[in-house]
Amino acid sequence: MTAVATVTGAAVSTATGPSPAPSPLALPLPLAAAAESGATETGPNLALALVLGALFAVGTYLVLRRDVVRVVWGVSIISQSANVYLVTMGGITPAADAPVGNSVAGATDPLVQALVLTAIVIGFGTTALALVLTYRVYEEHGTIDTREIADFDPETGGGADGSGTGTGAQTDGGTGGERA
Amino acid sequence: VTETVVAAPLLVALVSAIATLLAGSNGRLQRVVSLLGSLAYAGAVAVLFSRVVLPLGSAPTTLVYQVSNWSAPFGITLVADGLSAFMLGLSALVSVPALAFAVLYVDSYGQRLSFHPLYHFMLVGVTGAFLTGDVFNLFVWFEVMLMSSYVLVLFYSGPEHTRAALNYVVLNLLGSAAMLLAIGGIYATTGTLNMADLARRLAEPAAYDVALAPVLGLSAVLFAVFALKAGIVPFQFWVPAAYRAAPTPVTAVLAGVVKKVGVYAVVRLYFTVFAAASLPELSLPGLAPVADGASFLAFFGPVMFVMAAASVLFGGFAAVGGTDLDEVLAYSSVGQIGFVVLPLAVAATVPEVRALGVAAALVYAFNHGLAKSLLFLASGTVEAAVGTTRLADLGGLAPRAPLLAGAFLAGALALVGIPPLSGFFGKLLVFDAAARAAALDATGAVAALGVVLAGAVLTVAYYTRAWNAVFWGEPSERVEAALPARWTRPRRTGAEGAVADGRGEAGVAVDPDPTGSGRTLRELTLAGELTVVVALAVAVVAFGVGFEGLLAAAEAAATAALDTESYVRAVAPAEVLGE
Repeated sequence: MTAVATVTGAAVSTATGPSPAPSPLALPLPLAAAAESGATETGPNLALALVLGALFAVGTYLVLRRDVVRVVWGVSIISQSANVYLVTMGGITPAADAPVGNSVAGATDPLVQALVLTAIVIGFGTTALALVLTYRVYEEHGTIDTREIADFDPETGGGADGSGTGTGAQTDGGTGGERA
Repeated sequence: VTETVVAAPLLVALVSAIATLLAGSNGRLQRVVSLLGSLAYAGAVAVLFSRVVLPLGSAPTTLVYQVSNWSAPFGITLVADGLSAFMLGLSALVSVPALAFAVLYVDSYGQRLSFHPLYHFMLVGVTGAFLTGDVFNLFVWFEVMLMSSYVLVLFYSGPEHTRAALNYVVLNLLGSAAMLLAIGGIYATTGTLNMADLARRLAEPAAYDVALAPVLGLSAVLFAVFALKAGIVPFQFWVPAAYRAAPTPVTAVLAGVVKKVGVYAVVRLYFTVFAAASLPELSLPGLAPVADGASFLAFFGPVMFVMAAASVLFGGFAAVGGTDLDEVLAYSSVGQIGFVVLPLAVAATVPEVRALGVAAALVYAFNHGLAKSLLFLASGTVEAAVGTTRLADLGGLAPRAPLLAGAFLAGALALVGIPPLSGFFGKLLVFDAAARAAALDATGAVAALGVVLAGAVLTVAYYTRAWNAVFWGEPSERVEAALPARWTRPRRTGAEGAVADGRGEAGVAVDPDPTGSGRTLRELTLAGELTVVVALAVAVVAFGVGFEGLLAAAEAAATAALDTESYVRAVAPAEVLGE
């Protein structure tokens, strides 16, 4: 009970801390937010917003590729950019005080970092699964070209050029081969 | 007050998952542990349900468990109110028979490899999602549930399964990233992740310095994620392939319970939490200006309506054109989830019928959960007995397997909405909500009625077609080969009964067991599967006959979902920003 009371007390004492800090970055559009906050806050926000935009762009580009491995990279990059976004949301500038424990001036919000840590661990698991799945797809279809995988017909047990022997990747010679 | 009983279903499911993992070296022991764990889960849910909802008709209580006794906005809060208890009840009712079916249906190698731990971890995720009172924690439980379901969709690892799983995994990983973005944004905007604290802050945005416009946008992103989990149009791409790829009992749980987690999240977050916020003044192109004091629901109502109507029509038409029993059922799931979301849309748009609309959605979700798992398990039994679920290869099963046909008919009629099955009342309530909204001259209520009617006609059409193709008419070649004689009641087709009655021939064609004792073993397995299906059919009928209890529970759940104040009071988040 005392622990809780301390926490509450500490939090109350930082009443002015966390509330105004996040609002400049409240918009989900990083660039708009950065442009808006540029007047009041310093440079890192704009830089982070640009980095975030670039990361999401790269991730989206990769997800739209035909090569499954690149799709997995894209998904992975997008998940990681979500983490970067979370850290940005918590504020990397030492404006906000920690709402838990002893209030240290200049500390950032630790909750966001706990969230990101959780998300990173989940990300490890899902990326590993996605890579194993990619390998399994290659074993089953003989290709990692999404269009050829989509052509697979369960009725005949194969795509336009058969399945299971790697012929798909070789005959096409396209995205599947490029990965190596 | 911290109530430990809230965490009970979660802990039981977790212990079962770990115990089945540890018992992996002994297949029989693992199966027993898994079944016992599932029964214990149902028991824990029953205890929690009785504490929260019973006696029926009285106001439901809200039980709160603060993990590690950290007070609300700092620690993780588990909340069991009428809504959570209702959804947990559905989860227990579907997961126990589905597991019993799986023990018989999934090959023993697959069961030993990974099936049971994955199944229970999926239940852990579902239970956590129903119980949590924290938005980020909801994300974590979603991930627990999804991770298990990824592997279960991939379970057979054939060409079709890898393709379906690839689709499913990539879409849901993108959905998870979007969910993380929205949650991070909500934290940055409101300064809290606790649902009760969130509701309180959104109710008084000025006092807590919360900007409502970004919260509206972020909640819209979150809505897209929940729609993806629930498989509502336009996020339904993964549904048919994934449902057909997963082992049938898993599909029953995916369609019966996991889908409903998305619906639950919509009800909990939008009707309990975001409903507290009033719409900021926005001028969105194509939208009429919203009346003063309208909540976020006024924005989400039309969105839900369009998505629900599209689901009902798309799912209905696609199911009518299905060539495979599983495909018909999978597209039917897309259509039926539209029937669940449609009353929610009505409830969101028209405050006068809000409680009725939410109750209608919950009753429909419950009925669909039971009836659709029954149908998927029946389809699994057809597959096990005949070896195919292609409509063109089937026919004339009704005279050969009358009990199976009867159970399938009960499930199909429940979804069509024939009294006295539970589905009749579900559909009646959906109609009632739409009709009352129409009586109040609400915009779009007549369109809602039209969609419900068209959807009902489509449901009749595709189930009639499936019934005719699978059970009616002359036995097809495959059916003739697999079931040359009438396959009678499961209790009498025990090992001796089958042989003595000369009915041992039934079901010889498929998957002969190399051990030689296969015939009787297979007979017993099929009989067991049929027993599970019939038990579910009895449940569908029982919930229709004893509908008053179900309705009272659903109304208690709707009351709990709409009563933001008592939710906040029960969780009692500490004031972080004292004035």
